This record gives sequence, structure tokens and C-alpha cells, in this order.
Amino acid sequence: MRETENYDKIIIGAGLYGLYAALFCARQRERVLVLEWDDQAFGRATYINQARVHMGYHYPRSLSTAQKSAGYFARFTRDYEFCMLKEFEQIYATSAQFSWTDASQFQKFCQAAGIRCEEVSPSRYFRSGMCDGAFLTTEYTYDARILRDYYLERLGEEAGVSIRYHARIRQIYQDGDTYKVELEDGLSARTGFLLNASYASANQVLKKVQDLYGEPFGIKYELCEIILCEPSEHLRPVGITVMDGPFFSVMPFGKTGLHSLTSVTFTPHMTSYESLPVFPCQEKSQGSCTSLQLGNCNDCPAKPESAWPYMSHMAEKYLREEYGFSYKGSLFSMKPILKNSELDDSRPTVIRRLSDKPTFVSVLSGKINTVYDLDEVLSNGE
Amino acid sequence: MENKEKNFVSAVIYVYNHEKALPGLLNRINGILAENFEHYEIICVDDRSTDGSVKMIQKFAGKVEGASVSILHMSYYQGVELAMNAGVDLAIGDFVFEFDKVDEEFPGELLMEVYRTSLTGFDIVSAAPNRAERWTSRLFYWIYNRAAAGRAPLRSEAFRILSRRAINRVHAMCQSIPYRKAVYASCGLRTETLVYEQRSRGGGISGEERANRRDMAFNSLILFTNLGYKLSGALAGLMMALVIFIGIYTVVIFISAKPVEGWTTTMLFLALAFFGVFAIFAMIMKYLTILIDLVFTKQRYVIEGIEKVK
Repeated sequence: MRETENYDKIIIGAGLYGLYAALFCARQRERVLVLEWDDQAFGRATYINQARVHMGYHYPRSLSTAQKSAGYFARFTRDYEFCMLKEFEQIYATSAQFSWTDASQFQKFCQAAGIRCEEVSPSRYFRSGMCDGAFLTTEYTYDARILRDYYLERLGEEAGVSIRYHARIRQIYQDGDTYKVELEDGLSARTGFLLNASYASANQVLKKVQDLYGEPFGIKYELCEIILCEPSEHLRPVGITVMDGPFFSVMPFGKTGLHSLTSVTFTPHMTSYESLPVFPCQEKSQGSCTSLQLGNCNDCPAKPESAWPYMSHMAEKYLREEYGFSYKGSLFSMKPILKNSELDDSRPTVIRRLSDKPTFVSVLSGKINTVYDLDEVLSNGE
Repeated sequence: MENKEKNFVSAVIYVYNHEKALPGLLNRINGILAENFEHYEIICVDDRSTDGSVKMIQKFAGKVEGASVSILHMSYYQGVELAMNAGVDLAIGDFVFEFDKVDEEFPGELLMEVYRTSLTGFDIVSAAPNRAERWTSRLFYWIYNRAAAGRAPLRSEAFRILSRRAINRVHAMCQSIPYRKAVYASCGLRTETLVYEQRSRGGGISGEERANRRDMAFNSLILFTNLGYKLSGALAGLMMALVIFIGIYTVVIFISAKPVEGWTTTMLFLALAFFGVFAIFAMIMKYLTILIDLVFTKQRYVIEGIEKVK
């Protein structure tokens, strides 16, 4: 067996939160090891989502989430401008039926949150009677591929950071005032600070840590599909989100030239309410995915059939004909959802410190621009 | 079947305490749709059933493959019209089947026949049983069809299909649809009714539903026909004529019979006053009919939630 290497911090998961933490620590002159199950960074949730940089519009029933989002929005757009698409009209509309929020409530909410909301005629985008209000807003979309390359380049310049892809963690246990992480290939590493930034696998990682008293996150899991589509000329410079209820969103997907299409009812294909993700498709995944270790849904042989017929029909029911789009492909990914956020639809970032000396911190956030919440726990100067 | 239809269809089913008949209907509809369509969805609108209907739907959804099944839970009992409005609003299909009555027997092939008929250019196609209706229904349709002459006549229907165009048209016409059949009939698009031989008559209806239907019958007559206005207008006219006659009679008596002092003035005053009152009534009637036209479009339904079961 090889010698155990020492690190100031070990980070599990090379998504945005993991790599952000790695760069943050490297700049504090720390030695950092990033462990990633996949063979690439940003292979899952960071890439496979709507790529929306949230300004807060999404949470008309949770003003606190909205205000926080708006605050982070400015900082995030400043720091990561290079990967952002800003030049498009982002339209939020309230559906005439089934919406939990109507046009005037939405306007009031935007005023309270202090975010832009200019009324436009719903008939410009929607079929008659489908939406009772449409609003021009400011929101951007980020390109995960560009963001990833930026991070990998920056991290490559830092001598103290190493990223280990295809990392198979066998177990993690406490050894004095450090955690020892053992990989299947015999490698082991030691650290006084372990960060679990594995998003959907958060509870699975917790389970790998021996003798740790730690309640799993109260989450449910949704296997989600994002559809990439080619927008029509009219749709290209426009992003449209119909809310607040069982609706859909079609908006630019970073700088790819494609649009992402999602819908509240059809984007989640399956749901697991267990504390570890249990899905019937795992049996057909040829061992690549279990309730103890999630595979990458996107590469899975058992990934579900696309819900394109459903999602496209829902969007077509609302949108005027000229805002058409055609199917390009589907991306699948696992999404953990905090159970207590159902009612007000808020998406808080949860950072849990499970032990001190050695430190073990688990982070779970559904939004990319709240990544700055990590600063506090990572900072040396505390 | 190799060549399945590419059109996306939605089936919206009204469910109110139908646990017995429901599984049969769901399986039948699903079987036919699965055989004929590449993609479809089934929406069950549960109007606060108090029996095991919802469990039946959930059980059914567990077995279905390759289709979306949703339950739309109404917050409280709101009757078939509002509930089905909600269901159709939720549907995303190019064509939407409406099943108002779960316990209605109809031949399976009729479903596709109705669909194919609509493809030939009918935006709304209904399937109606050829049978003796209850005398109350018969009376209602008789009065209604006479009063709403010129529009497509109404009758008892088992189910119907709507094109997306028809739904859009109906939405553009009025914001709410208190009585779908009447709105569909007067939406101006081409409609067709397929009549079939009914083998057995559907089950009985509950007291609650009977009361609901009675209300609806009166409301529809008032909202979709000018029957109420005509009737009250005629009455007001009659009364005014009567008052004029009394006036003339008073003058005649005054000239010919020399009545008691004061009688003539009293009578003339009363005649004039009543004439005024009835004239005002007639105007109020007119105002009310206009108001109804404006106001009934505000009617909305309330839902508790939408459950996606599959």
C-alpha cells in the first residue's frame, strides 16, 4: 500500500461547488485534493440544469430566497461574466390557470424584492387566454463548459491542487484529528477538513464516513431531464418561463446557441423519497448505479425515454406558433430536493458542519450563484 | 399496430364517486389509446370523491406504461362543468377527449370513430346514445333548443373530442365556460354528433348531482338563451297593457257614470304610477341581462393540487 498523503482539505465532488472551494483554498495556499467519481468535472448537475443564473424571479412565494438570489446575482455576474449570455429577453409570465401566483401578485413581489419587472403584452408571446401577465426581466444564463475550462485552467496554475477523476472511495474514517479517505485503488489521503460537495450523492458520502453521527439530509431525489432544442428565429433571442405551477420554461442554454426546455411536471421522470436514492432503473444500469453510489444518469444505459412529446406539447399549447423549436437531445441528471422547501418553493443553501477537529462539512444547494455561501466555512481566518 | 397516430391526445375524465365503474373505463380508454396513439395522457378530475375512486386511479396508474396519468384534485365538490373546465385547461393534447360520465356504456370502436371524424374537419365531435332520456332532460333540451334556435341543438352525450383549435376558440370567446355544451355549440366551429345504439342505461345519479344539474339547467337557460328576458319582458308588457286599459276604463267611467269624488284622480294616479313601475322593471330586466353577460365570465374554479401519478 502506498503512503498516505496529507492535504489541508479534501473535497468530494468536482462540480461548481467543489472546484470553487478548491480554488478558494488554493488561494489561501492550502494543499487540496478533489475527488470526482466521473472522468470529468462539471459532468452532472452543474452542466445539466437550466443554466439559469437566478435573480430570484423563480420564488414568488419566498421573498427571502428571492432577495438572497438577487444579492448574489450581481456578484456572480461580475465574477463570471466571461461565461454568461446576457443578450436575450427573459420573459416571465403567469399562467391564467393553475398558477399559485397571478400577474399582480408577481409584480408586487418583484417590487418588494427590488428586481426588474416590466409589463409586456402576453399576446406578443402567448396564445390568447393562456397567460394573464407577461414581464420583461433581467436574468442571464451561464455556459457550464466555459466555466469548467476556466476553473480547470486556474486550478492547473495552482500547485497545491490535484484533481483525481474516476475516484472510487472505499471508506472514510476518523483517525485522531484527521479524516482518512481510502480509495479502491489503494490510494489513501488524510485531511483535517473534509468537504462533501457531491450534491445528489450527499447522503451517500455521509454513509461512507465511519462512526459519524450525522443525520442524512432530508431530501427526495428526482431524476430530471433537460431537453436541448434548436430555437426558431423568433425564439432565439428570447427566454420564456411560465410560472408558478405545473408549467414550463424554454430559455437559452449558455452560449451553445441551443435552448433548454424544462417543465415542472415532465422534467422529473422518477422520484425517490428514501434518504438514499432508490430507483427501479438502477437494476438495469449494469451495475453502474446503485442506491449507495449514483452513476451519471446521462451515460446510463437505463436512462428513461425522453419526455419530449409531453414537454413540447405543453410549450406549444402556450406559445404562439412563431416561437417554435425542434428537438436536439436530452440530458439526464439526479436532483436532490430538500423536503422542507416544497411549500414555499424556496431553495435554501444548506451548509452543515457535522464534526469539528477533524472538520467535516456537507453542502447542498440547488443554485449556482449561492456558491459564495462557502466562503465562510472555507476561510482560514475564522 | 405499426402506424400509430402521431397526434398527441389527452383524455379528461370526470370522477365523482365512481369507484365501481372507473377501473373498467380507465382500462378500456387506456387500451384503445395505447393501441392507436404514440403519445397520450390521461387526466382524471376528482371532484372530491368520498369513496375509493382516487385509490382506483392510483392503482391503475401503477400499471400503465408509456403514458402520463394525472389526478386533478378539486378543492371541494364543484360539479361536472367546472371540474371538466379545469381538466381541459390542464390537458396539453392536440385533441382532447372529454368523458363526463364514467358509468356510460359505449362501444370501444366509437372512440376512434369520433377521432377520425374530427380529422375530416370537425372541431368538435360528440358521441350520443340513441335512447330515451329522462323526461327532465328531454324537457330541458326541448326548451333550450327552441330558445337557442339557429345554433347546433344540444342532447345527452357520452363523450366528445375537441381539437386544440376549438379549445383556443372557446377560450378566446369567454373567460369561463359555465356550460360547455352550450359554449361548444355556439362557438361557430364545425361540430358533428355520432349516434350509437345504447346497450344498457348508465347508473343512477345522486341527489347532490341531481340538484346540481337542475341548477345548471336553469342557469344555462338564463345565460345562453334569452328565454328569461323574453319571459319577463312579455310579462312587463302585459302588465303595462293592463294598466293602460285601466286608465282608459277610468276615463270612460268619469265621463259616463259620474263616480265618487276623488276616485278618478286616485285611479289615474295609480295607473300612471304602475305604468312607470313596470316600465322601470322592463329597463332593469334589460340591464340585468347585459350585466349577466358581463359578469358570468368571471366565474372561476378552485383546485387544491395536481398530482402527477405517472
